[in-house]
Formats: sequence, structure tokens, C-alpha cells
Amino acid sequence: MKLSKIGLSLVTGAALLAASAQPAFAGEQKTKPILGIPKSALDDFGGAAGVHAWVESLFYYIMLDNRISHIFREFGNVERQIALNTQLEQMVLGGAVEYQGASMSAAHADLGITMTQFNAVVEAAYNACERNNVPYKTCNHLIAALAPFTRVIVTR
Amino acid sequence: MNGSQGSKLRLWSCAAIFGAAAAMHSGLASAGYNDGKVFLTGGVFTVDGAGGGGAVPWATITGYETRDGINGGIGYTYANLPALQLNVFGGAIGFYDRFELSYATHKLSLNLSNLDTVALVAEALGGLDLGTDPWNSTLQMDVYGAKLRLFGDAVYTSDSWIPQVAIGGLYKENKTGDLVRTLGANKAKDWEAYLAATKVFFPLSTLVNFTVRYTSANQIGLTGFGECSADGCTNDKEFRFEASVAHLLSKNTAIGFEYQQHGDNLDGKSVSLAGLPLEGLTGLLGNLLPGVEDALTQEKESDWMDVFFAYAPNKNLSFVIAYLMLGNISVAQDQNGFYMSMHATF
Repeated sequence: MKLSKIGLSLVTGAALLAASAQPAFAGEQKTKPILGIPKSALDDFGGAAGVHAWVESLFYYIMLDNRISHIFREFGNVERQIALNTQLEQMVLGGAVEYQGASMSAAHADLGITMTQFNAVVEAAYNACERNNVPYKTCNHLIAALAPFTRVIVTR
Repeated sequence: MNGSQGSKLRLWSCAAIFGAAAAMHSGLASAGYNDGKVFLTGGVFTVDGAGGGGAVPWATITGYETRDGINGGIGYTYANLPALQLNVFGGAIGFYDRFELSYATHKLSLNLSNLDTVALVAEALGGLDLGTDPWNSTLQMDVYGAKLRLFGDAVYTSDSWIPQVAIGGLYKENKTGDLVRTLGANKAKDWEAYLAATKVFFPLSTLVNFTVRYTSANQIGLTGFGECSADGCTNDKEFRFEASVAHLLSKNTAIGFEYQQHGDNLDGKSVSLAGLPLEGLTGLLGNLLPGVEDALTQEKESDWMDVFFAYAPNKNLSFVIAYLMLGNISVAQDQNGFYMSMHATF
């Protein structure tokens, strides 16, 4: 009797421990590119300020592209999207930043994003790098870090 | 009565065909066309017509379409080597980033004084038909190709070592059979198959491609397939290795190199006169023209190599400039020279 109670509490304890290992919110994890992300990647991007400036340029080009601008416009609150993307990009580049948004799969599940639309965002990303004078090679580290999200973002 | 019924039937079938054509056309226009692929990731125009580098077909599907539609383009390539000039014109269509159909037609002009000599001698001997002309010889070849992407994504799977893999087939129809046989080949028409694996490594800004081709081609088929000798003819296919490495300097500019392994079917073979090996005749010729015996023996076929520079000002146009190191081609040595290719996509 006592033994089984101990067993039960052990099991719940283990379950709680496992749960606490997960982040408190259904956020997003850092990706694991095969060749890694260099430690200097975030600094090369100009740190937090550089990433924020880049995300602003990204949304500038996205909103100019009529293949995709309607998706982001319908989603609303572009300022919030810029803030969350700034967190996400810093996180995948190895920054000690907490991303407070939804997971990539949850955020895009109902949008029916096509590969064409996804590629349009990638084009905007390269345009943003050029606009902000982020070197092509530095830009590719961010692309490498974000590329694995293709699987969950493109659902059509 | 019968006549009017017949004409009505024709009218109906005409209308049905028109309807189907109109439906297909509007279907293509609304749902088919697509140009959503990222810069240069469809490859450019290879001499085989297939999407890839210059000589090596890649696992990527030609054109700028994504899985959502159809795209394609036309290409023109000119290579200027000391003893030959190659003109290639063709086109390819990619379907849903999954399947590709291609066509290329080759014109290879030879300025080989030693081959011209053979033609002169043949004409002097009474018009043996060698497929050569005393002043110029042109090899022609048509290449029909198809490629199917099997699995993988060359571009976006940056967290996996699995490349994009495709299989392809080419049917090569050399239109100058007489000349090909004069050069000692067995067949003028044959097929080849290949397996290609392509992957983009973003942190290195580099695309790497490996291809294995199952073929018996001599100089990609321009000098035919297999070989004939006094012991008879063979056409044994073998696996040959090819590679491309393209380093992107920016999103629309790349530099790189290619390697293509070649066979040895015609190595050391004498040019033959209407099926008769020239060995007997070269003795006679040697008295008239010292050194002709060596000059009419084909060199060891070299593997092809090139270094290239590719630039795509926009998604509708790309240019490739390359320096080719093709080595020995038939009876000519050191065939190194320039290559220029243009690829227009729609």
C-alpha cells in the first residue's frame, strides 16, 4: 500500500520534471543546421539592434510584394510580428533571447502557405540583407538557421 | 441525310477538341505557370539540355517553378576550342519541381587538318563516303532527356545531410553516322541514364552536386557510342563519375568548377576509311605525307573539366562564362578554350 503510493508519487514527480524541462509556453526551439551556426553570427548581424533593423527591412519588402503582403496584412499587428521575429531570429542565431511567440507550426497551421509564398519571403530576406548591408555570407547563416522551418510552414 | 449527320458529327468533334484545348489553355494560364523558385536553384542549361551546370546534370529540376506549377526555358551554348566549335541550342520544361523534359541539338564544327587530309585522300581515291568534307566536317546530334526528382530538397533541409536525388535518362541521336564510324565508334544513337545528388550548404554559400552516369558515349556522344576494331564492335556501358561545385558570391553570382569522367573507347584507334582501318593505308600515305600515321591515331580521351562564372541579372536570364579543359578530343590535343551559355526562362 505504502509502496504503491511511493511509486505513484515517483511517477508524477518524473512526469512533472519532464514537463518542466519543456518551456512554459508552446514556443519554438532553436534549429540544428548540420554545419552549425558560428558563435559570431549574431554579432556579424549587428547584434539585437542589427537583427531588429533587418526584420523591419524584411517586413518592408514583404509588404511591397503583392504575392504575400495580403497574408501578413490579414494577420494584423505588423509591429507585434516584427517584435516576435526579432526575438526568433536572435534565438536561432544563438542569442540568449526568449522567443515569446507561438511555434512555427502553430503560427502557420491554418494559413495554407505554398512553397511559392515561402520562397517570396526568402527573396524578401535577401533583399533585406542587401538593404541593411549584411554580407551575403552572414545572411546565409540566418537562412540556414531558418530553413528547417520550411517543413512546418509550407503546408500546401 | 447520312452526309449531314456526318458533318454534324465532325462539327461536334471539332467543338469538343476546341473546348478541350481552351480548357487546357486556361488551366495552364491560371493554375500552371509558376516562377516562385529562389535564384539559380533550378540550375542552368547543360549541353545535354537537362537542368544543371555546364556539362553535369543536377538533381534540381529545371526552371523557376516550385511544386505549385510549371516553368521552363531555352538555352544557347557556344564553345570555341582550337580545333572545334560547338553550338548547342535547346530547351527544357520543369513540371511541379518534380519532373523535367528537355531537348538539345548540337552542331560541332571540326577544323582538323589531319581529318581534312583523310577526306582529301578519300576523295582522290574515288569518293569513299566517310561523312567528312575536305575543308570542314560538322558533327550533329539531338539529345532528348527526362528527369524525375526522387526525394530530398536541395535547398531548405539545412539540418539534414540528405541531398536532393533525381534519376534521368537521355536519348542521343547522332545525325552524322558516317563520320562517327570513320572515327571508330560502333553506334550513332544510344541512351544514357544518370543518378544525381545535389545539396546547397548555406553556411558555405556553396552548392555541391555528384552525378553517376551509365553510358558508353565517346565525347558525350558527339563521336558516337562504343567502338569498332578488327576484333569486332562493342558497346559496353559503364558507370562514370561527374561533379559540380558552385560557390555563390552573392544571390545571383556563382563561381565554380566541374568534372566529368570520360571513357576510353576510341583511345589509340586509327581513323578508319569506310570501315577499313587506316593502318594499311597510312603506310602508303606516310610515304606521301610524313607523320600522317601519328596524326591519324586518336588520342586518349580526356576527362572534361571546367571552371565557370555564372550570373543571373534576374529570374528570366542567366549567363555562364567558362574556361573548358577538355584535353584530347579525337585526333586533336589540348582542346582548352572558352564557353559561353545563355539561359532564358519564362
